[in-house]
Amino acid sequence: MAVIPVQAFLIVAAALFALGLFGALRRTNAIMVLMGIELMLNAVNLNLVAFARYLQGALVGGQVFAVFVITVAAAEAAIGLAIVLLLARRRRTIEVPEIHDLKG
Amino acid sequence: MSGAWLAFAALTGMVLYSGYKVVTSPLITHAALYLATALVGVAGFFLMLESEFLAVVQVLVYVGAVMTVIIFAIMLSDVPALQGDPQATLVSRLLSRRFGSVPALVSAGVLALVLIGYGSVRWAAAPLGGAPEAVHPLLHDTTAQGSTGVIGRALFTTYLVPFEVASLLLLAAMVGAIVLTRRERGAAEKAAAGKAGAGAAAAAPAVEGAAEERGGAQFWP
Repeated sequence: MAVIPVQAFLIVAAALFALGLFGALRRTNAIMVLMGIELMLNAVNLNLVAFARYLQGALVGGQVFAVFVITVAAAEAAIGLAIVLLLARRRRTIEVPEIHDLKG
Repeated sequence: MSGAWLAFAALTGMVLYSGYKVVTSPLITHAALYLATALVGVAGFFLMLESEFLAVVQVLVYVGAVMTVIIFAIMLSDVPALQGDPQATLVSRLLSRRFGSVPALVSAGVLALVLIGYGSVRWAAAPLGGAPEAVHPLLHDTTAQGSTGVIGRALFTTYLVPFEVASLLLLAAMVGAIVLTRRERGAAEKAAAGKAGAGAAAAAPAVEGAAEERGGAQFWP
């Protein structure tokens, strides 16, 4: 098996992170913003696992941290999409620029 | 070009193309399906990095649960502007949305910064994909097969407290999601009363009572 350097994985993860950041900043739809955040979290996970494999002494730590990131991402998706549903029900819009105030 | 590099190139193309389509497709359902593809690609990367457990968890949690929740949210929040504008060209979409060209510049800047940082690091020649005997000694524990046993053992010894905190977080998120999306008792009657009181209310979509009533009929018939 060929040796793939860790930098290759890191570059892919950096590109994925930039794509997710772009999506989270540009899209106006709240669900699309959440999807951009999910892309960024996945890029971070890829970095963690690549470094866990690269620094073999820290193998367990990196992978366990990736497990926690996935957990927090699941909780974030549940709460974020619940808020999106609430916005859609009460405001009839989930476009982020049209949501100015917190109450209501 | 060896098999590992071929797999790496295929996964890279899959992940980056899907990620690009996630942030640029005008139809939100297409974006959700492309996000699922990108997440499967990341699971493939996890397999290449010899973390089978994380690859399976990625498919189960992300592609199975989170994507289902996202698609449910798309279907339930059926607001008029949800579908986007399919006619817009890429350049106009890049420039006309929120903040103009700032998001493109910011993300390109972050990417350039990270890549410059990677270029300036002196990397040790640690093997990736070779020399299995150099892997963490726990991996060669006969009672802990592969990364699953290693992660399980670490979760319940070294990382026990973060593990419990994570379970509390999931519980709080579950309760919070239920409380947030629960319909208050009497909201439907109030909305019906408001609609009966003002006959023109149904014609104006911005009126809260009409929106509530319509939403109620739609979400929980």
